[in-house]
Formats: sequence, C-alpha cells, structure tokens
Amino acid sequence: MNGGLGRLKALVVDWTLTALFLLMIEFLVISFSGRRGPTGLLVTPEETLDLLHYGWIALGALVLTLGWQLVKSPVGMSTGWAAVYGDDSEESMPWTHTVRGWFAALLIELTFLTGWLITEVQLVTFLTQFNKATDIVRGLVNPSADVLHQGLVLLVQTVFLAFMATAFAIPIAFALSFFAARNLTRGTWLSRLMYTIVRAAMNITRSVEPLVWALIFISWVGIGPFAGVLALWVHSVAALVKLYSEQIESIDHGPVEAITATGASTLQVLRYGVVPQVIPPFLSFTIYRWDINVRMSTIIGFVGGGGIGYILKPRVDLGQWGEVGTLVILIAITVWAMDIISAKIRERIV
Amino acid sequence: MSHEAVRVEGLSKIFDPDVRALTDVDLTVEEGEFLVVIGLSGSGKSTLLRCINRLIDPTEGRIWLFGEEMTGAEGARLRRLRTQIGMIFQQFNLVKRHTVQTNVLSGSLGRSSLLGTLLLRYSEEEQAQARAALERVGLGGRGRSRADRLSGGQQQRVAVARALMQEPRLILADEPVASLDPALRHSVMRHIEALNREEGMTVVCTLHDVDLIQRYATRLVALRDGRLVYEGRPDEFDADTFRDIYGTDAEPATSQLFGTDGEEATA
Repeated sequence: MNGGLGRLKALVVDWTLTALFLLMIEFLVISFSGRRGPTGLLVTPEETLDLLHYGWIALGALVLTLGWQLVKSPVGMSTGWAAVYGDDSEESMPWTHTVRGWFAALLIELTFLTGWLITEVQLVTFLTQFNKATDIVRGLVNPSADVLHQGLVLLVQTVFLAFMATAFAIPIAFALSFFAARNLTRGTWLSRLMYTIVRAAMNITRSVEPLVWALIFISWVGIGPFAGVLALWVHSVAALVKLYSEQIESIDHGPVEAITATGASTLQVLRYGVVPQVIPPFLSFTIYRWDINVRMSTIIGFVGGGGIGYILKPRVDLGQWGEVGTLVILIAITVWAMDIISAKIRERIV
Repeated sequence: MSHEAVRVEGLSKIFDPDVRALTDVDLTVEEGEFLVVIGLSGSGKSTLLRCINRLIDPTEGRIWLFGEEMTGAEGARLRRLRTQIGMIFQQFNLVKRHTVQTNVLSGSLGRSSLLGTLLLRYSEEEQAQARAALERVGLGGRGRSRADRLSGGQQQRVAVARALMQEPRLILADEPVASLDPALRHSVMRHIEALNREEGMTVVCTLHDVDLIQRYATRLVALRDGRLVYEGRPDEFDADTFRDIYGTDAEPATSQLFGTDGEEATA
C-alpha cells in the first residue's frame, strides 16, 4: 500500500515535470517561429499559451515518463523517484553525471527563458526610459510640508492599528497552534482531525490577501481603522498559528516524555513540557508580526481600512508627488524604527 | 516472600514501517531488585523501558505493574499507573526555564490538583517535600536557580529528586549517567541506589560501564537485536559473556575487571 502510493507519487511528479518541460519547449518554439496571430501581428505570449497542445503533450509526457522507468538501469533514477525516495544509492553522483541532474538543470533554464517572455521583460526600456518617471522622483525628494501634521496623526493611528490587530491575534493563535502542531496531534483520530481542520482553515485564511479581508470588513463594520484592525487580525492569526505551531513542532521532546511519565494529564504536559519551551520564540514572532502589520496597514489604508494609507491613496491618484513624498518618508522612518526596535527586543528574549 | 514489580510477557514492538525494536521479550522484575539492562545502542533497551510505562505502546505482548495490567490501560487509569513509575533520562529532561524547585514539584503532577499545577501553585507541604528531596540529593538551597544554570551532574540529581517527589514504587532509569563525565557517574548512581535501598523502590536501569554494573546491579539482563539473550548475576558476568552480548569487536569499557591486563592496571 505504502510502496504503491510512493510509486504513484513519484510517477505524478515525473509526469508533471516532463509535461512542463515539453510545454515550455513548444512555447519557445512558437514564440521564436515568427508566427502571426489573428491580428496579423506576431503572436503575443498570451496568445501563444492558447496555442499549446496540452492534451498531446500530457500524453507524450506520460509515455516518456513510463519509458524512463523502462530504461532505468542505464539512464539512472528519474527526478520524481529521487524526490520521493531520495538517492540512497551507494555511489551518489554529482548532478552533472546523472540524466535527472541535466533534466532538472535544463528545466530551470527553460523556466527562466519562458518566464522572460511571459512577463514581457524589456531590459532596454527599463534602462533608457527613466526620464518618464522624473516627475515622481522629484516630488518624492522634495516633500511638501502640507500633509506633515495629518500624516503624523495618522501614523500614530497606523502603529496602534497594527498593535491592536496583533494583540487580538495572540490568544486565538496561541490556542489554535497546539492543534496545528503535528507532534501533539498524533494521539487520537479526533486530534488528527483537528490538526487537518485547523491547518486547512489557516492555510486558506492566510492565502487570502489582507487587502481582500479589508474589503470584507469594510462592508461589515464600515470604513475606518477598525476594519483595518480586523483585516490584519485575521491575517495575523493565520500567520502566527503557522509560526507558533512550527515552533511547537521543533521543541525538545524530552521534557514532554518526562512530564508524561509522572502520570500528568494532557493539560499538565502542555503547561510543563511544551509552554516553557515556546514562550520566548512566541514573543519574538509576535513582535515581528507587529512589525509586519505596521508595514501592511499602510496598504490596508489604500482601500479605506484606516491609517496613513487612507490619505496616501488620493494623493497618488492626483499626482501630488510632493505630499506623497512626505507620507512615504514618514512610513519609511516608522518601519525602519519598528524594525530596529523589534530586532533589539527579540535579541534580548531568545 | 517477594512480589513481582513488573511482569512482561511476549513483548514485541515494531515501529512503522517495519523496524523491529523488540521481539518476544519475557521478563520479570521482583520487588526491591536493582535490575540492570545492557546491550548495544539500538538493541531495544530504551524501547523496553518506555513500553513499561507506556510512553511507547507495545505492538504485541502484555505488561503487568504490581499485578495490575499496564497494557490496555487508558486515560485516568493509565495516568494513575504511571504515577507509580518514576523515570530518569539520559538527557535529564528537566523543564529548563523553570526553577529547580518547580522541576522537583512536577514529580507530583499526577496527584496534585489540576488548576493549582497549571498556575504553578503548590501547597506548603508539597513545597517542603520538594525542598527535602533536593536536600537529599545534595542540592539544598539551589531550589531558586533556573534548571539550565546547573551542571549536567546537578541536573541529573534534580531529576532524581523529581522521581523521589513522585513517590513511585518503580524507577526506570534510561542510561542515567551516559551523558555525564565519568568522574561524576557515581555521584548520580549513588542517589539512584539510595532510592532502591532506602526507599525500597524497585529499579530497572540501563547501563554500559562494567564497573557500574558490578557495583550497583543485583541482577543483569542483556538485549541483542531486540531479544533477551542473557540473564545472570553481576558477579557471573565476565569478558566472554560481554563479547557474547556486545559482539566480538567490543572491548569492555573497564578492562581491569577482566584478565591479566587489569591486574597490572590496578597494581
């Protein structure tokens, strides 16, 4: 069962990689073939993506993948095999001596080339057209004093907004992190279920941008800093659960064993065997999170979540670059100060 | 008349996927014994000890503790049975950021009130008992130190005090002196011996050094590849049995106990 599942995993990895390999080759071939699209112009990268033969390539990749397994002895282990099982052969070779090494290297090269085309990298424009942006830069280095007072006030709000989001996040993240730690949830099927649920919920929450959360909470509680607090709070809970639980997973298991052996109950084992080990790193992560939240809250303000971003957005839209410059400098100083302070505190704790 | 402290029948442990740690081990430990378990690392000694207090669940076999079945016990009953088994570890396993006193007090977790222990609050009686336990291992007055400020030998003595605080009837000691400076080994072993002689606790202890085995053990069993391969008294234990258990490549750690080399060394 286990072996079969492993083989399937290896096969899927190989198949995926081979298919990507072939797709990128076709993409590059079409891009450089001088082919013209419906408009008569050269095909754009997006149009090229539509032209690829996904079905045929998937089939071809499957054939190649299975073929590799047949010629394993002269060619050597495939990439997926090595990824799933690791290369524990006695003479582990440098990558340049294996087919899968060259395959992986070529795959990375292809990805870079394809990426260059898909993201439409234009080095020449980047290097020669700077003059178009001089207005903005001139404004930024000539800050206007008009918004200084309002900026400072909202800066205070920003820092508190970030603090409240972090503070609300701590107790919830603390409680949830124990359920999200693999080493504490192996016991019963119930704890394994909790692990899966908490992990999944946090991954989903974390993958939704704080900006989106802000939009949700703005319609919920209205425009203003509290919507920002809630948006950053949700995101902070998810992020802290991840950091906290990883810390719990890396504790020394010895004290847990020792406390369990005395006949202590689960809560006592957590209180004595786990909590003392994780408090300092938890504090450190929390301060770091506050630091990140200050940075994020400027963006949250763009959509109406309070803080300094709230007055930054309209000035960007109106092209009042001098005032934008003032606000950007204020934000930079705050972020820089938070960074130093949080680093110093964390140094002392751990 | 002696009673059985531990009875192990047909004990096997297979770690997934298929690592056999123990195979069909039968063992009886009489009350009051100082049983030493020897064997190479990986022979299953630690697994055997951890099966007895169910830190590891056996794959097969049954275990009785003072006549009560340990295998199959769950929840409150398992915890109550565990309170009768103190454990001492190679790495001490103290709560490093707690004080020495709190570490000793944690020995009583199985019988103290839940809320009090979660707040690290203990009764004056328990505090006094913990101080007395520290006194006994020669660390009186060190109660307020943080546990990780102490040296290795001192930390292991705190672990002994924690076991004393627990008031168990059986002590499992998993290589209690393997991480200590050889010169300090007796200082810890002496206290474990005192638990055995003065408190009447049964001791099951894994050891490597031949001189410690001969000095402290009342009986000896050996594991090889997860099987019980030897049982005897420490004074019957000689170089041949040693090589039998540890393999022909092994040399006794203290050679003076065997053969002529040793006599020259002691002379």
